[in-house]
Amino acid sequence: MNIIEATNIHRTFGKGAVVTHVLKGIDISVKAGEYVAIMGKSGAGKSTLMYQLSALDEPTEGDIFIDGENVVELSERERTEFRLNTLGYIFQDYALVPDLSARENVMMPLLMRGMNWAKAEQAADRAIDSVGLIGKYHNLPAELSGGEQQRVAIARAVASEPKILFADEPTANLDSISGKQVIDLIGEIHKRGQTIVMVTHEEEYTADADRIIYMEDGKIVNEKKN
Amino acid sequence: MRSLRIGLLLGLRQIQRASIWTTALIIFVMMLTFLNLVVVSGVLVGLITGAERAVRNESLGDIILSEPTGEKTIIETNSIVSSFASYPEIDSYSIRYKSNAVLEANYKERRNLNTERDIATVNVTGIDPALEDNMSHISDDVVRGEYLDPNEEGYILIGYYYLEESADKFGDVFDTLGIKNPGETVRLTVGDISKEFVVKGIIESKVDDVSLNTYIPEREFRRLFGRIDQNADQRVIRVKSGYSEDDLKKAFVTNGLNAYAKIQTFEEGKPKFITDIKATMNLLGTFIGSIGLVVASITIFIIIFINALSRRRHIGILKGIGIERQAIEIAYVIQAAFYALAGSALGALLIYGFLIGYFERNPIAFPFSDGVLVAPANETLLRFIVLFITTLVAGFIPAWMIVRQNTLNAILGRK
Repeated sequence: MNIIEATNIHRTFGKGAVVTHVLKGIDISVKAGEYVAIMGKSGAGKSTLMYQLSALDEPTEGDIFIDGENVVELSERERTEFRLNTLGYIFQDYALVPDLSARENVMMPLLMRGMNWAKAEQAADRAIDSVGLIGKYHNLPAELSGGEQQRVAIARAVASEPKILFADEPTANLDSISGKQVIDLIGEIHKRGQTIVMVTHEEEYTADADRIIYMEDGKIVNEKKN
Repeated sequence: MRSLRIGLLLGLRQIQRASIWTTALIIFVMMLTFLNLVVVSGVLVGLITGAERAVRNESLGDIILSEPTGEKTIIETNSIVSSFASYPEIDSYSIRYKSNAVLEANYKERRNLNTERDIATVNVTGIDPALEDNMSHISDDVVRGEYLDPNEEGYILIGYYYLEESADKFGDVFDTLGIKNPGETVRLTVGDISKEFVVKGIIESKVDDVSLNTYIPEREFRRLFGRIDQNADQRVIRVKSGYSEDDLKKAFVTNGLNAYAKIQTFEEGKPKFITDIKATMNLLGTFIGSIGLVVASITIFIIIFINALSRRRHIGILKGIGIERQAIEIAYVIQAAFYALAGSALGALLIYGFLIGYFERNPIAFPFSDGVLVAPANETLLRFIVLFITTLVAGFIPAWMIVRQNTLNAILGRK
């Protein structure tokens, strides 16, 4: 069963003579529990595609059904609610709130979903433990290394058990060792049944993916199953 | 509710992690704004309150008895005085006889009768020196010479405004006399009757009614002005601490004293211009304070705007992971509320813990008043509410401007 079903996705930027056509009629589907890696050179449109699939942006044309819901038709407020309840995100540069501790960062989406403080704390601690940061609940992001921050970001993304986890070049700002650890962690999460869509430009990090989609100039040019 | 919880967490943590010096500076600015709002009008009103207090202490007392409608004097003055013993609320009182007369100085030295006489039409008040001093402490206002002795006659106290030297200070507003020092002889003339007095003292106060007056013992007043019935023009009463002047007035009325005299509390009997000027000063102070309010709201706007702008990407990410806009806006409103609360609390502490007491001990010396700081709790609360609401709005608008921006643009740092 496809959890993501996107058809004829176009995304243009600018107006008039300076329109840039970044996505040119992409069709893509992702099965529940699948781990899809999107690869391509810089400017290929892979991140833009992920923003459309993850309801962070609206395509200029096309439909995107996620878990049966056409996210293109949702209002801004409904999309925010949808992202909260259905999706998880890992950004390239960790994107943690600098004023909040690791635990509080992870708790944020849980509290927003209405979980009470004590349960959110327990769930956050479990998620932090699961990414190998046992005991670092009270550390501020600035007190953690880049790799550790990214693991907190992963903990935040998975703590609320999203239906799909999106990762936008999660290793881009990490050294090779930390990058490998993060990729391994994402692989482990996938093994627990998590649907994952990851954008990367490094082939070596796609080893755990079920399928690799290659993009070039706003189009899918190739697909490969691992 | 969920947004409020998240907003509280974000807001409190931002305050907690912010630079202590920046936070202290913002709170200091808010404290100055609060002081500006409360103290400026407080001092302006305090100038008039100082004058009001002086009139109450040195002239009118807490309750004023004057002639009832249709009469020239208080009726049955002696009976009323006798009844005072039955009112434990009365601390002290004075009986005053008032009229006008012509006062002449330097008439003994006047050799050429073609030259102008040194005369002035003056207010004359007949008093029992002991009772008056007990009530108004008027002897403290004697700046040269001595106060009247209850056992002496033929002495007069002259208000400073009747001296030529006062005209040098304040301008030629009143008729003045060339009296230099106590001990000089003056002549008081009422109709065809004249009497010589020795100037016992010069009296000066910030209450015009005192400085623009002459005082002689009541016995001499009654003889000079032919007031054989002993009915006075004014009775002023000081109420003991802990008792209410309103209650005493009610008791007077209940016992029928209002048939013999018009009875007013100080608030009722004080000159209306005092109330009017106080209201004007309050308005003026509020206007000046509101300029500070505008400055403070702009300050808060800029602080929150820069803060939100510098965290634009984080705001985008929070929205990206599903945090509602309201939660993020609440976080910034909470920061603004914290600054307003902390600044106002410090300002209130300074006003009620130090400034009011300081100005009571060291009033600001103005020509017409010893100015104090007046900050009634209800008006201070009102000004705090105005400052608080203004700050919340000034905090909300920039947060709203930043938070409403496109989520992805904010995440990617795009315009």
